[in-house]
Amino acid sequence: MSKFLKLTASVILFGAIATTGANAQDADAGKKVFRKCAACHAVGKGAKNKVGPELNELIGRVAGSLEDYKYSKAMTAVGEEGLVWNNDTLTEYLTKPRGFIKGTKMAFGGLKKDAEIENVIAYLATYSASAEQAAAEPEEMAEPAETADATSGQAPAGLAADAVIPDHGNYHLGRVALPEEITAWDIDVRPDGAGLPVGKGTVADGGVIYDESCAVCHGVFGEGEGRWPVLSGGFDTLTADRPEKTIGSYWPFASTIFDYVNRAMPFGNARSLSADETYAVTAYLLYLNDIVTDESFELSNETFSDIKLPNEENFYPDDRLEEPNFAKGTEPCMQNCGDRPAEIVMRARVLDVTPDNDEEGGAGGID
Amino acid sequence: MSQQPTKDKRFVSSRRSFLQGGLTAAGGAAAAAALGTGAAFAAGTPDPAITDIKDWNQYSGAGVDAAPYGMPSPFESHVVRRDVPWLTADPVSSINFTPLHELDGIITPNGLCFERHHSGVAEVDPAEHRLMINGLVDKPLVFTMQDLMRFPRENKVYFLECAANSGMEWRGAQLNGCQFTHGMIHNVMYTGVRLRTLLEEAGVKPSAKWLLAEGADASGMGRSIPIEKALDDCLVAFKMNGEALRPEQGYPVRLCVPGWEGNMWVKWLRRLEVGDKPWHLREETSKYTDLMPDGRARRFTWAMDVKSVITNPSPQAPITHGRGHTVITGVAWSGHGAIKRVDVSIDGGRNWQTARIDGPSLSRSMHRFYYEFDWNGSPLYLQSRAIDEQGYVQPTKNALRAARGENSIYHNNGIQTWYIKANGEAENVEVS
Repeated sequence: MSKFLKLTASVILFGAIATTGANAQDADAGKKVFRKCAACHAVGKGAKNKVGPELNELIGRVAGSLEDYKYSKAMTAVGEEGLVWNNDTLTEYLTKPRGFIKGTKMAFGGLKKDAEIENVIAYLATYSASAEQAAAEPEEMAEPAETADATSGQAPAGLAADAVIPDHGNYHLGRVALPEEITAWDIDVRPDGAGLPVGKGTVADGGVIYDESCAVCHGVFGEGEGRWPVLSGGFDTLTADRPEKTIGSYWPFASTIFDYVNRAMPFGNARSLSADETYAVTAYLLYLNDIVTDESFELSNETFSDIKLPNEENFYPDDRLEEPNFAKGTEPCMQNCGDRPAEIVMRARVLDVTPDNDEEGGAGGID
Repeated sequence: MSQQPTKDKRFVSSRRSFLQGGLTAAGGAAAAAALGTGAAFAAGTPDPAITDIKDWNQYSGAGVDAAPYGMPSPFESHVVRRDVPWLTADPVSSINFTPLHELDGIITPNGLCFERHHSGVAEVDPAEHRLMINGLVDKPLVFTMQDLMRFPRENKVYFLECAANSGMEWRGAQLNGCQFTHGMIHNVMYTGVRLRTLLEEAGVKPSAKWLLAEGADASGMGRSIPIEKALDDCLVAFKMNGEALRPEQGYPVRLCVPGWEGNMWVKWLRRLEVGDKPWHLREETSKYTDLMPDGRARRFTWAMDVKSVITNPSPQAPITHGRGHTVITGVAWSGHGAIKRVDVSIDGGRNWQTARIDGPSLSRSMHRFYYEFDWNGSPLYLQSRAIDEQGYVQPTKNALRAARGENSIYHNNGIQTWYIKANGEAENVEVS
C-alpha cells in the first residue's frame, strides 16, 4: 500500500474533512493565507485554471484529475496511485510540496506555520461540496483584479499579496538559478582543470587565429606592440633590472591562459571564440613560449593537465608581515633623527604634470 | 525671461593662467603672487574686487530649472581626473587619478573618484542585470537589483586604493603631483548589503574555502577571495555617497572588500561562485603578484598597508602666499584599521611633529590631517608618516626597497617627500 493510500484510508476512518461551520474563524484567516496561493490558483465562482489548477471542489478530488489542466507527470502518477486531497494529504503537501510529491511543478516552497495550513485548508473547504456556503462566497478570487492605473502607462503590477514567496534562505529573496543559466555564466577554469569545456585545438589552428585576432596588439611572436602585454619570451629575466613577465617566464598556470582568452579576448570582442578556438589559441601561446614544440600538438580538455608552466613553483603566499618595517609597537624617532641634515638624492624625472607625448614613458608601468 | 548672467571672461582667463603658472611650476607668476597677500592688491590702492559692482551682485543668476543635476562652478573646471598616457597601452584598459590636492575632508566626490577598468566602462541596464550565486551552496540563486535592495542595508565609509598606487615611484621620484603619485585612491560612503547576507541566503556549504567574484564587463574581471573575508566585512554596494554608483565605479552594483586592494572590488558584479580552491585568474597571477629580488613572487598580497601623503602643498598646489601662517594638510589610511596618529616633518624626517586629525576616524577609511605652522620662507622637505591602530608605522621608501627590491610594482606605501622651494613651488624628491 502506498503512503498516499494510507493517508486516504485514515481520512475515511476518522471522517476528518473540514466543514465550513466548524471552522468559520479559521476559514477567514485562511482567506488571507490564500493570497500567497492566488497568483497561481483561483477558487470560487467561475474560477479557472491559471498557472496552477482551479481549486473548487478540491476536498475529495483525486490528485491530478482535472481534465483541462496539464499536470506534472508526478502529480498525475500519484493520482493514479490513489492520492485524494483531504485535510491530511493537503497538510502534508502544503508543508513541503516537493518533499511530498517529488516532481510537482508547483514552485511554492510550502507554508511555514501549522495554523496557516489548517486555515487555508479550512478556507478551501468552503469551496468544496461539503460546504453549503460555497456559492455565496465572494468572487474576487476567481480572476485577478483589474486594478492597473490606466493613466500610469505601466503594466499592471498585480496585487502585492499575490507575490510568490520562495522558501529558501532567511529573507526568501531571489530565485533558484536554472542549470542553463549557471552554464551560461560559470565559465571559469581552475589550474586543476575544473571548468574546462569539452574541446580541442592544435598549435597550427591557433596560429591562424592568433595572427588574425591577437598579433595586432601582442605582436606576431608575442613580443607585444607598444605597451600591450608581452606574451612570450623573457626567460631568466625575473631577477634582471627590467624583468619581462610573460606566460613562459612568469605565469604559474596554463589554465589562466585559457580562462582569460575565453572570458576577455580578443580585446574589444570578448566571448567570440569557440571552445575549440580557445584551445587552439592557448596551444599556440604555449608554442610561442616553447612549452610545447610541435606544431601538430593538440590541446584538449583531456591533454590539458599535462601542461605545466616552468615558473609555477616560484609563487608563495604573502609574507609582508615578516618584513622588519612591519614590526609592531616600535615608537618611531621623533627628534634629531639621522646623523646629518636631509639632502635630495633623487628628483622627479617627469617635470610636466600633464604628461604629453613621452613615448618612452617612465619606469614601472602598471598594466 | 530673467537676465542671463554675463560671464566675466577676464576673470576666467586670468584665473586660468594663474593656475597654469602654478601647475607648470614655471616660477614667474607663482613667485610674484607669493610675495603679497593677494595678487591684485597693491598697497594703498582700493581693491576693485570690493569697489567694483560685480555682475553677480547686480544681475539675477540662473533659475532652479537651469541645472537639474548640478555641476561644480566653472571656476573649478581644472579639478578633474587626469591620466598618464604612457602608463598603459590604451585608455580603454587604463587608469586615471583622483585630484587629491583639490579636495579636503575625507569624502571623494563621485565624479572625481579615480577609474581603473580593463575593457572600458560597461554600460549596464539595471533591469537586465542579475547577480548569481553558484558553486558550493545549498541553492544556487539569482537576484535582480530589486531583490538586492530588499535585504538589510548598511552604510560604510571605506577607502579603495589600487595596489599599484605609487607603483611608478619604486625606482625613485618620478611624477610631479600627488594626483599622480597617490591618486589611485578614493574614499566613499557605500550603501549596500553584506556579502555574508547574500551568501547565507544561498547557504554556504562547509567545504567552502574561496569565493570568486566576477564582473559583467567585457574583461570578465574575476578575483578569488578567501571565504573568511567574504563572510566578514565585504559589502555588495549599489550606492556611493548617497546616489547610484557611477557607471565607471560599477553601476549598478559592485563589491567592496574593505582594506584590500582595489582590483578585488569587482565592478558590475554579476556572479559569486563559492569553491574550495582559488581560481588563479589573470589578475591574481600575471598581475597583482609582487616580484621579489630573488625572482620569486608573492601572491595573494591583498591588504593595503598604512600610508599617508601631504596633499597641500604639493607640486600641483604650490604655496603662493609667501611666508607666515601656513596650513599643511593631507590624507592617511590603512587597510589594517583606523589611523591612530600622523606625524609631519618639515626637514626631511629629522624632526617630527604630530599632526591634528580632523573629521571622522573610521576603520579602513581615509583620515584628514592638518599641521599648521609659521613658515619662515626657507626651503622645506615635507614628509608625513602615519601609524595605524595595529601599531604599523608607514615605512620609508628605502626600507621597502631593502625588503622588496624595485620590481614589485604593487603595495608601495613609503613616505613621500615634497621639496618646497623658497618661492613656494613643490617638487617630488627623495632625500637621504
